Amino acid sequence: MKRRKFLKAAGASGLAGILTSHRAPVFAQANTVHILRWNDFVPAADKVLREVFAPEVQKALGLKLNVETVNANDLPARATAAIQSGNGPDIIMLLNNLPHLYSSAAVDVSNLAADIAKAGGGIYKPAEQLNTVGGKWVSLPWSLVPALIAYRKSWFDEVGAKSFPKTWKEYHEVGKKLKAAKHPIGQTLGNTFGDAPTFTYPLLWSFGGQEVDAKGKVVLDSKETIESVRFMAQFWKDAHDEGGLAWDDSNNNRAFLSGDISASLNGASIYVAALNGADKFKTEKGAPLHTDILHAPLPGGPKGTHAYHTAFNHMVMKYSKNAKGATEFLAWAHKKENYEKWFVVQKGFATGPTREWEKHAMWNNDPVMLPFKTAPQAQSRLMGFAGQPDKKAAEAWNKYVVTVMYAQACSGKMKPEEAVKWAAGELGKIYT
Amino acid sequence: MLIERKWKKWFYFYLPMAVFIVFTLFPFYWMAVTAFRPDAELYRTWRQANATPFWTLEPTLEHFKGLLQTTAFPHWLWNTMLIALVSTAISLVCGTFAGYALARLKFRGSEFLGTAIFITYLVPQTLLFIPLADIIRDMHLGNTPWALMLTYPTILIPFCTWLLMGYFKTIPKELEECARIDGATRFGAMVRIIFPVAIPGILSAGIFAFTLSWNEFIYALVFMSSAELKTVPVGVVSELIRGDIFFWGQLMAGALLGSVPVALVYSFFVEYYVTGLTGSVKG
Amino acid sequence: MTVAGGAARAARPAERVRIAGMTRLLESEKVLAVALLTPGVVILVLFIAYPFVMALWYSLTSIRVGDPGHFVGLANFTKAWNDTVFQTAFRNTVFYTFWATIFKLALGMWLALLLNRHFRFKRIVRASMLLPFIIPTVLSAFAWRWMFDPTFSVMNWVLFHMGIITDRLPFLSDGDWAMWCAVVVNTWRGMPFFAITLLAGLQTISPDLHEAAALDGAGAWHRFWHVTWPLLLPVTLVVVVFSVIQTFSDFQLIYVLTGGGPANTTHLVATYAYQVGVASGLLGEGAALSLFMFPVLFAVVWFQLRYLKRVDAN
Repeated sequence: MKRRKFLKAAGASGLAGILTSHRAPVFAQANTVHILRWNDFVPAADKVLREVFAPEVQKALGLKLNVETVNANDLPARATAAIQSGNGPDIIMLLNNLPHLYSSAAVDVSNLAADIAKAGGGIYKPAEQLNTVGGKWVSLPWSLVPALIAYRKSWFDEVGAKSFPKTWKEYHEVGKKLKAAKHPIGQTLGNTFGDAPTFTYPLLWSFGGQEVDAKGKVVLDSKETIESVRFMAQFWKDAHDEGGLAWDDSNNNRAFLSGDISASLNGASIYVAALNGADKFKTEKGAPLHTDILHAPLPGGPKGTHAYHTAFNHMVMKYSKNAKGATEFLAWAHKKENYEKWFVVQKGFATGPTREWEKHAMWNNDPVMLPFKTAPQAQSRLMGFAGQPDKKAAEAWNKYVVTVMYAQACSGKMKPEEAVKWAAGELGKIYT
Repeated sequence: MLIERKWKKWFYFYLPMAVFIVFTLFPFYWMAVTAFRPDAELYRTWRQANATPFWTLEPTLEHFKGLLQTTAFPHWLWNTMLIALVSTAISLVCGTFAGYALARLKFRGSEFLGTAIFITYLVPQTLLFIPLADIIRDMHLGNTPWALMLTYPTILIPFCTWLLMGYFKTIPKELEECARIDGATRFGAMVRIIFPVAIPGILSAGIFAFTLSWNEFIYALVFMSSAELKTVPVGVVSELIRGDIFFWGQLMAGALLGSVPVALVYSFFVEYYVTGLTGSVKG
Repeated sequence: MTVAGGAARAARPAERVRIAGMTRLLESEKVLAVALLTPGVVILVLFIAYPFVMALWYSLTSIRVGDPGHFVGLANFTKAWNDTVFQTAFRNTVFYTFWATIFKLALGMWLALLLNRHFRFKRIVRASMLLPFIIPTVLSAFAWRWMFDPTFSVMNWVLFHMGIITDRLPFLSDGDWAMWCAVVVNTWRGMPFFAITLLAGLQTISPDLHEAAALDGAGAWHRFWHVTWPLLLPVTLVVVVFSVIQTFSDFQLIYVLTGGGPANTTHLVATYAYQVGVASGLLGEGAALSLFMFPVLFAVVWFQLRYLKRVDAN
């Protein structure tokens, strides 16, 4: 009886609490900013937003900052629903060139972008392309997570690779030996947002393949593309962990940390995890794993060396009832002294939107992270090359067309020529 | 003779039963082991000699602690329970009424309506949730538990109605007629005579509805945005999968804790559930 | 508040007349039917019928996220029809639904027959058999994904140590394997519901019938086929209908297990529609893709309802 009474009471107060809770934001709305971001890989960074930014913004601008973080793969769903229903977060984080997809729902932030560029010695050119539509800034670049290959120095040494291979051909040779020594290369070719396309697009480009020409005509089905797919299929068999077809962005981290693979294209997260868990992650000789990790850019092909780094941008939503507050918050957050607090806990996993951040003292702390400092400069091309990184390029990217092309050839489901033809056909339906 | 029969019982009963039990329960065992396993062991691959997938020598509570301290898990649990209870209650009321009307009352279009209600069950959720988002906005329900309490019944009412319709059909008409002769109104007879008899059916419909709402993912993902208002499935998936790494320990701890309340409900009601279904399948 | 106030006023004579009038009105079958059906129908119309019509309209327009678009006729449908990924997704959905339903039915029936016997710990076994059904799908799918994980798979460990395999099996990294894995997980999840419902059906069958058949010398298999099965048929059909609907429009399981990969080989119609409509913001095309499910489900249900009615009539 007692218990029941208690449950009843708890139920009643909880119910009342929850049912009325939605009213609170209604009158608090005027000075609340709700920001939706991904779950940062560096959890300490989310902590900075919640525990440092929120109280300081309250003090500086009188804004109540409401930080929500979700799995990055769920961001587009939330953005779509919010825009369609005209109700949701005031600021939404959008990856890569998604701002183009959602541009009609954005508040123009060109002035703010100009201020940030002026203060920081210029915004990176690719970031400008990703965030502007028709000359207008529809979102603000917040950070870039460079994708570099993390590799095991000792294992590369053992097979005679004193430095990291500079070309795909050398990498193939080294990889063969690594796999023979039971230390294959790990790479995802699954339907996943980060590590798969940041590998496949630069691979395509370095062989001279491209999705479209400058006018937007699909030219994927070329000798160069077929060559790159043929190379990859062989490279896959000879040197890779073939489970990679089922991987998402997290599998290679786990495989690397558990000593199953010798190299993988990734953000700095493998290294940072090894650093933070020095007692957990060890080499087979018992040394802390992080002492055996180095970073290198992707190798080059016959048509140069390329890289694509995942971009994180913030869009102020047009439906927001507090767009002014949201813009003010972003202006505040981009100020050097504030941004810095977030930037330093990233330890180099994320780089800043402007050149200025390459000069930051943090980069002197750890030579292993140094390759990340200037990585943004190597971002030579964007999706949809040689056209624009526009809506159509975003659609192709989101449908994983290029990644699937390689995956189909690597799994042996299709011959390289067939895979390329298929992918060109898919692009053709997007670029009509 | 006796030996042969014993052998037969082993072969035809205990052996398959054991296989079924292993198949059904192994994933739960696996969740539990993972939830108690320290991170260092989680990173041992199946190929490594020291891998001990079936047990752990150093069980730890750190994942449970992390789950309860760094996330709003208790809130999620509470929300899920509340939302599931309210939407189940709404669906049961609607389903019992509608089921009774369709099973017992004669009126034009009853057959059509029964089919129409059933057909609503066919409309895929992935199709509905974008237009639904508009409606939620127009009704100012966005980011409130009501958004889910009102949309979940759409998945539940068709099932409840049909299950209870079957159940009501098995209740002899005489029962009601006797009460009517004794002077009860039609409505009174329904509430006081028929509904109590139908309790097993109502219970099993309720249990089923409760499970479905506990399980729902898409609507909860899209309509709720504050961390404290999320449900268990959405909360666990969206906050424990961190960009690059999964927190398997916490994820499994969340899965385990997230199913305990429903499991309790079931273990109490499973016999009722079977009886309730028994009634409705008779019809 | 209003309820309490109403009760207080009910004492007044005028009110009493009105309430009496209400009861009299409710004596009419038609009025009572309308009153009873209204709440359910209002919810269904508001939250299903109306959005459904809107979704139909979306499917005929070029609507994108944040852009209402314009009428394009059936262009979205023809685009979907010619889309190779959609074709794969559709085939996968049929494959997935077909095999998962067969397994759920066969294994569920078997389990129900076992559970229908008397044995020790019957209650607890019955309750525990329901566990897969009650745990949220996304969460159990994560547990399965962890079990199938290429690097950490416990299955590989078991098979390897039993000496059955020398290298790992490509559970989720090969499209065909991954599809079968999805079938297994779906079976695991759905089987308990089949078993319990069929168990309920079994309990309605009088033991006399079995005894009579046994006296006639019928074997176990014969008794099942000629006594149990025909009596269970109506229940079975209902469960199968519900299961087909749920499996055919399934989303969560694949979303978690494979995300449609590797190389788009495991997409179901629902997950692909989600990817196109939501991730790429092409709401019109997404709606058209989802709509392809509707006629199939409709046909399945129509046939089964008709069949049920025939059984009822006999």
